[in-house]
Amino acid sequence: MQNEFEPIALTGASDQDVSLLDILDHVLNAGVVIHGSMVISLAGVDLVYVGLNVVLTSVETALRNLRAEETRRTPR
Amino acid sequence: MTRVLAYCAFLHNPAISLPEIGVAGAKVQEIAHGELKLLWSDVEWPFPESTLQASAVEFHQVVSHIFSQTGVAPFRLLSVFDDQQSLADFIAAHQAGFVADLKRLQHMVQMECVLYFAPQAGVRPTGTEYLQRKAELLQRTEEFVGSMKHALADLACEIRVRESRTGGRIFVLVQRGNEKKFASIVQELPIPERLARRTSGPWPPAEFLSGAVKTPPVAGPK
Repeated sequence: MQNEFEPIALTGASDQDVSLLDILDHVLNAGVVIHGSMVISLAGVDLVYVGLNVVLTSVETALRNLRAEETRRTPR
Repeated sequence: MTRVLAYCAFLHNPAISLPEIGVAGAKVQEIAHGELKLLWSDVEWPFPESTLQASAVEFHQVVSHIFSQTGVAPFRLLSVFDDQQSLADFIAAHQAGFVADLKRLQHMVQMECVLYFAPQAGVRPTGTEYLQRKAELLQRTEEFVGSMKHALADLACEIRVRESRTGGRIFVLVQRGNEKKFASIVQELPIPERLARRTSGPWPPAEFLSGAVKTPPVAGPK
């Protein structure tokens, strides 16, 4: 079957940057979200322990949550 | 640990070619239930940060392979199932909703226009100036969205707008084949002062999936 679409540019420095951001944005933030039990781990740190029935979140949101959690835990 | 990564769902058609390799070089496999087909592969979970970017591109390539041929309901990259049985249960439970959405959106694509505030080099506004400027820009964004809706009235099947901290994001559902027409109409619209725009697409019409498909409830231990 013929591809009817223009491919998303992945060549050229600036195009590549923009397209990669678009790709990350879409694969992380757009589409079907399932609920489940898992830990999202980045940089060796379990960012979000989402328990049994919590909606998955984007990395940006996960990082924000982690920062908030760190702030909360920091002794005053 | 190994988990089952879901890529996308689409309506079964024997003419559709399937990708062979998915995230981290894993073999892409299919599961079918009635008219519905879903692609998945085994993945090591969780993804290490060092491979997240590559995984995103590989994930995108699998979805794009199918999307270039037919309508898809994409999953999000971080959506994984415990095992193949969980995936089979999921697809059996939600088949009707997916099929209805896929039939409704089969010949549609999602085009996007992001409006953002053009940065002004060397300008450091006070707090009040910043808020005034932001209010002005939000108003201009709304005006632009209005003119865009008017200009796309004959082309767009549906338009949705989301405000963001830096401007706005406009999602437009159009028939396949109208992507260039969309781009030329949007490019001809005058852009308000201090705003910039970027169009992209075609994307799978994820924004236009029904709520029950986008965030399906999953039975499990409470």
